[in-house]
Amino acid sequence: MSHDHDHHHHHPEHDGPFPDEALPEGSVVDGETLAHDVDEAFDYVVVGSGAAGAVAAHTLAKAGWSVAMVEEGPWVHTREFGERVYEAFRRMYRDAGTQVIEGRSYVPLIQGRCVGGSTVMNSAIAHRTPEDVLAEWDERFGLGAAINARALEPHFDALERELNVHAVNDDVLGENNRLFLDEASAEGLPARKMHRYERNCRGSGRCVTGCPSGAKQGMNVSYVPWALALGARIFCACRVERVVVEAGRATGVLAHASGPPDGSRKHKSTVKLHARRGVLVAASTVQTPNVLRRSGLRARAIGRHFQCHPGYGLGGIFDSPVEMGFGATQGAECIALRRTERIKLETIAMPPELAAVRIPGIGHELMRRFGTFSNLAVWAVVVRAEAEGTVGSAWGGGDKVKLTFTRADVERARKGTAMLARMMFEAGAREVWPGIYGLPSVITSIDQVRLIEEVPTDPRLWSFITTHLFGAARMGVDPKTSVVGPDFQAHEARGLYVVDSSVFPTNLGVNPQHSIMGMSRLAATRIADAARGSSTAGATAAA
Amino acid sequence: MKLTRFETRWAEAEMGVIFPGSSDEGLADIGKLGVGAFLQEVMGAVPFKAALGLRLAIWLVALAPLFLLGRLATITGLRLPDRETVVNRLVASRSYAVRSLVLILKTMGALLYAGDVSVRARMNLPPPRRPSLVPLRVKRVHAA
Repeated sequence: MSHDHDHHHHHPEHDGPFPDEALPEGSVVDGETLAHDVDEAFDYVVVGSGAAGAVAAHTLAKAGWSVAMVEEGPWVHTREFGERVYEAFRRMYRDAGTQVIEGRSYVPLIQGRCVGGSTVMNSAIAHRTPEDVLAEWDERFGLGAAINARALEPHFDALERELNVHAVNDDVLGENNRLFLDEASAEGLPARKMHRYERNCRGSGRCVTGCPSGAKQGMNVSYVPWALALGARIFCACRVERVVVEAGRATGVLAHASGPPDGSRKHKSTVKLHARRGVLVAASTVQTPNVLRRSGLRARAIGRHFQCHPGYGLGGIFDSPVEMGFGATQGAECIALRRTERIKLETIAMPPELAAVRIPGIGHELMRRFGTFSNLAVWAVVVRAEAEGTVGSAWGGGDKVKLTFTRADVERARKGTAMLARMMFEAGAREVWPGIYGLPSVITSIDQVRLIEEVPTDPRLWSFITTHLFGAARMGVDPKTSVVGPDFQAHEARGLYVVDSSVFPTNLGVNPQHSIMGMSRLAATRIADAARGSSTAGATAAA
Repeated sequence: MKLTRFETRWAEAEMGVIFPGSSDEGLADIGKLGVGAFLQEVMGAVPFKAALGLRLAIWLVALAPLFLLGRLATITGLRLPDRETVVNRLVASRSYAVRSLVLILKTMGALLYAGDVSVRARMNLPPPRRPSLVPLRVKRVHAA
């Protein structure tokens, strides 16, 4: 399914026009300004406009079906992206960036809540679903006949072509990434430049607050506008209350417009979208289970088996400038230890507001250390955690995620952190900031890395963060232990499909966006093919 | 949820301990950046539970002189060196809850402080080039 989208592509040497401008007339319904109720019908309604929802909507629209996307968050356009992290948190992140996983420790859980979802603020890293993970899904969950590398391959091929996936260009690699690659090479550790969705990245290092040049191919500048160009519509700033299920079949979606961000209007317009053929839920691992519950589904597996990839960042001060403010936000990685150690090593540039939290000390010590920011490198370990948690409803109607990392998970994080600390010293760092409670806030020699290796595995000693989320509406063949079947359709309701990473039976050990898009494209293609078949059969019968 | 005037004064004092500024380093005094207005903005933007956490953090540090120093005073009643002693002891607390609450204050303060032009300059970063995504209401809200 090769398609030329060149007419949509922005050439970033110019300040616009960006793909999220000059959209087809009437294609965007903004819940912040919507002053009347809506009652419309489409062939398919897609809940969510992130990696899963946008790709599914585009696939269905391209197959000729009428499609509506419903997105809880606002559409924040490329021209509006600023540099202040708090402003981005407040406007584009779920719970203004304060969402956490609750367990033995509290772990920040970062999700986008805007058109494009988390692809607006992630680092656009592409990894195909590892084959050993697909083999595990077959062995443990019986999915092999439907979900396998051969089935996914054409979709990954198309996504990589359409989103211009390629290794980070040398001119925007930046020193943080170069240091990591050089040191990994010196140690014989297989590492590589990351492969990302981007066109002419300028190395602004501002992925976290939204790409200001439109270079990052987030859904907000790719599949969402592309779907709109094919006739789809998007209802943004509209929160889905429930999928309407009648006589065991999904027939539409009921949502409410958010109204103005300042809350100046109390009346929230009702948005009723009828779905003639089906509803695809792609609201994310945390929100999808609760959408299903509010829709009357009662499968025991809803909200269970939540998994994630905890990440831990390590700062190091070098003698020469690193200047994290320039270069790919995340541009270098080592995935060689994914299978053996369940860890991935990578770089991550932090904006000053986030780096300041990890700079050791308070008061004058902290002030003094601000002056070392130019020489700060940050590398991170990401763990394919074995812990499973739950997604439920919080008091007041929000989402509640519970999970406690296992001892083995923390041991893996510890091993990766120690490896990174050693690499930093070998690369010339004069000090490293472990940030682990009970250890010195600054270590100054490679001999002190053993302190990290010996630190207890209590997760409360660490400051993990997580962005990669899986499960909680798991796919499987047994309705007693899963929520959807291998055809992505809910066991309990015909025409109700779940196409985001909540259906993943396990986590991956690599960045999930590519797998999410690949699975969503596979699902939507099969749904469109089946609909075309039934439509043709219906026409033949009618004739 | 809104902060009261005395909570805002406590928060300003607490943030002032963590981010005291430095004329030597050319770093602004956080007290001049509108801490109170910023925190009111945050309290209105985050969910109830997060707002409650921030309020708890402010109270914990404010009342810490009572149980850490045995002094009948809040944080605003101490001289700066004593304030630093209090906050340093809380940061190093064996209680996960206590040090996590102090970290909330550092995080919120960093969101305000590290975006300031003087801090960015110290970090060798240029001033922000783009207009604000969401203009803060700092100028329209009077800090207590």
